[in-house]
Amino acid sequence: MTAKITIRGLGHEYVNPFTRERVVALGGIDLEVEDGEFLTVVGPSGCGKTTLLNILAGLLAKTCGTVLLDGREVTGPGPDRGVVFQEFAIMPWRTVEKNIAHGLEIQSVPKQERSAIVRRFVELVGLRGFERKYPHELSGGMKQRVAVARTLAANPEVMLMDEPFAAVDSQTRITLQEELNVIAQSTRKTILFVTHNVEEAVFLGDRCCVLSGRPGRVKALVPVRISRERRRWNLLMSDATFDAAKEKVFGLVREEVGKEV
Amino acid sequence: MERYWEVASTWVVILAASIAVWSFAAATLPVPDYFLPPPSAVLSAFVELMTKGMLPTFIGESLRRILFAALLGLFVGVPLGLLLGISRGIADFAYPVLNFFQSVSGIAWLPLMLIWFGFGERTILVAVNYTVLFPVIFNALLGVRSVPPIYVNALRTLGASRWRIVRDVLVPGALPNIAMGVRLGLAYGWRALIAAEMLVGANGLGFMIFNAQTFHLTARIMLGMAIIGALWVALDYFFLRPLEEATIARWGMVQR
Amino acid sequence: MMRKWRGSALAIGRGAAPFVFILIAWMLVTRTGMLPTMFLPPPSDVARTAWEMLKDGSLWINIGASVGRVLVSLVISVPLAVGLGIFVGLRRKLSPVVEPIAGFFNALSGIAWLPLAVTWFGLGWLSVTFIMFNTIFFLVFYNTLVGVRTVPRIFEHAVRTLGGSRRHIIFQVLIPGAMPNIVTGIRMSIGFGWRALIAAEMIATSTGLGFLIYNASNFHQTDTILVGIVTIGVLWLLTDRLVLQPIERWTVERWGLVSSDR
Repeated sequence: MTAKITIRGLGHEYVNPFTRERVVALGGIDLEVEDGEFLTVVGPSGCGKTTLLNILAGLLAKTCGTVLLDGREVTGPGPDRGVVFQEFAIMPWRTVEKNIAHGLEIQSVPKQERSAIVRRFVELVGLRGFERKYPHELSGGMKQRVAVARTLAANPEVMLMDEPFAAVDSQTRITLQEELNVIAQSTRKTILFVTHNVEEAVFLGDRCCVLSGRPGRVKALVPVRISRERRRWNLLMSDATFDAAKEKVFGLVREEVGKEV
Repeated sequence: MERYWEVASTWVVILAASIAVWSFAAATLPVPDYFLPPPSAVLSAFVELMTKGMLPTFIGESLRRILFAALLGLFVGVPLGLLLGISRGIADFAYPVLNFFQSVSGIAWLPLMLIWFGFGERTILVAVNYTVLFPVIFNALLGVRSVPPIYVNALRTLGASRWRIVRDVLVPGALPNIAMGVRLGLAYGWRALIAAEMLVGANGLGFMIFNAQTFHLTARIMLGMAIIGALWVALDYFFLRPLEEATIARWGMVQR
Repeated sequence: MMRKWRGSALAIGRGAAPFVFILIAWMLVTRTGMLPTMFLPPPSDVARTAWEMLKDGSLWINIGASVGRVLVSLVISVPLAVGLGIFVGLRRKLSPVVEPIAGFFNALSGIAWLPLAVTWFGLGWLSVTFIMFNTIFFLVFYNTLVGVRTVPRIFEHAVRTLGGSRRHIIFQVLIPGAMPNIVTGIRMSIGFGWRALIAAEMIATSTGLGFLIYNASNFHQTDTILVGIVTIGVLWLLTDRLVLQPIERWTVERWGLVSSDR
């Protein structure tokens, strides 16, 4: 069975506008993401994780290699690859429900159906009662929930998440992680999640992809063999498998950080 | 509620005191009569011009002209500015030109317009509309360019077409700048109108006060000035500023 | 080093490109002879007249008159307006009353004062400078007033909890906090003031760029008018580049503050 996402020899280079140097952000990525898999991507700062995500999203052009989704080449951005950004990027001039409905509006989904879908996702992310609020009236965590709901409502083939919880306080972060697990389980979407937080990566990912420092390559793929149901913080606090995976990934990332210093 | 009364009563006191001081000064200062007419003279000028029907005409003419400029600015200037701002290349090209022509106020073009169109309505209209249009176009362009790219990217990942992005992101995102541009354009435009009316003399409040000066009808000048100020305050305070703040406040966006 | 020069040359080129475009279009239109030269003389005529005016000093005299009036008005009214604005803004009882009055005079400022000024001072530089003065004064005064009044209370509290006295609050919180508004006010007042000046010079005096172009229209000297217009535009661009932008960069942008435009 072909993987959902196939990446072969992906490279990305650019010229730094200030120093005029050639920078190799990605030096040949080979990666396969299975359908319904939750893959987290970690690595030291500047390793190119966001670059990888942006190329997958079609927001950045690759220099070489192939990127296939369901066997088709990825060119520009599109609703088949939903993106959740770190800065939320929900329209400040739209209410919560209009933001969530945005992708559906674009896809010309009829009004009745739209409201039903929006209602479903408002429930899913726990924002009932806030439908008519504007983003500036919401907390960071709530804004991110709106962003997630918007992406999910548009029913993409895969979800690309770029450090979505980095701008949120740690308590909310924990809650959002657990909620994301529940969503992943119920929707069974293929998710690629970029983060610099090792613990988060292991908590969420079926597999953790560790990228090497610049130029970014796949250093290791660490499987995390814990069932989705068991992924709750109170359960994993003292779980041997979790600790082992965490240590392993942490060690690998530290190695790469050490190389740069 | 008590504060309201406090402020209101302070106002009444100040108003009464000013009128008293003014009347006193008008009566006692050793200057010719036409230098400082008492408040009563201004009042009688008001009554006189109203009953003769001249005042409504003066006000009506000026308002007509500024309203026309406002509509032109809104329905031509804003779309034009948005269009220019959408493409980065065109925006970069247009920016210095718009900046330059904006800084040369419509009034500076008046002498040229006098040669082209003579002393008439068209000259005034060209000068005033020019003055209003440029800040509107310029700010609309800036508004579009200053929408954070991440919003555009977010919509692209939802599969939005170019047109969608303009409609759902660029226009709402540019609205605070547009509101500011309209406000600035009309502020410049109102003043340019008064100046143009003084120079071209085709009716209006500017003509009223300029003409009054020729005949030393200082009370009429003061009346005209009060009306000019009051009209702008009304326009700005009750219409333009709330519009601007409504867009910004509603969307919680802080504008630089 | 070379790269830096190349970079700025490119930037200037890019900025000048649209004007070159306009210049060419202008030249072509006049070539076709569609419009009589009185309406739109070719750029060469305008350039020639400009050169003559620069040589015989007539342009300089008028530039000097206008710019001089601007400078005099600025030097007198800005400190006065800022000082008074701070003074009134600090008085919690006084400011809410003064503010609307200031707002009204702000709305009134500028050319509307000209007939009254002429009544009092006659035609000439005094009336014209008076117009500029009150335009700048009321705008800066109003903005300073509002700026001082709208500094978030929390900064005051912070200084108080550090043991600061009233003096500290005034100089370390309220004045710096009002800076964005003050700077905006000054910036805007130059914009409004310059326009009021040109208009006033057309009506009430016999020197200055406003007079230059208005007078030229009486003699149908269109090339002189265009020289004047270009000069006005260039002067403004220079003011913006060399004075206003640096001021803003030093103060508001450096402190990362956001201004609330009035």
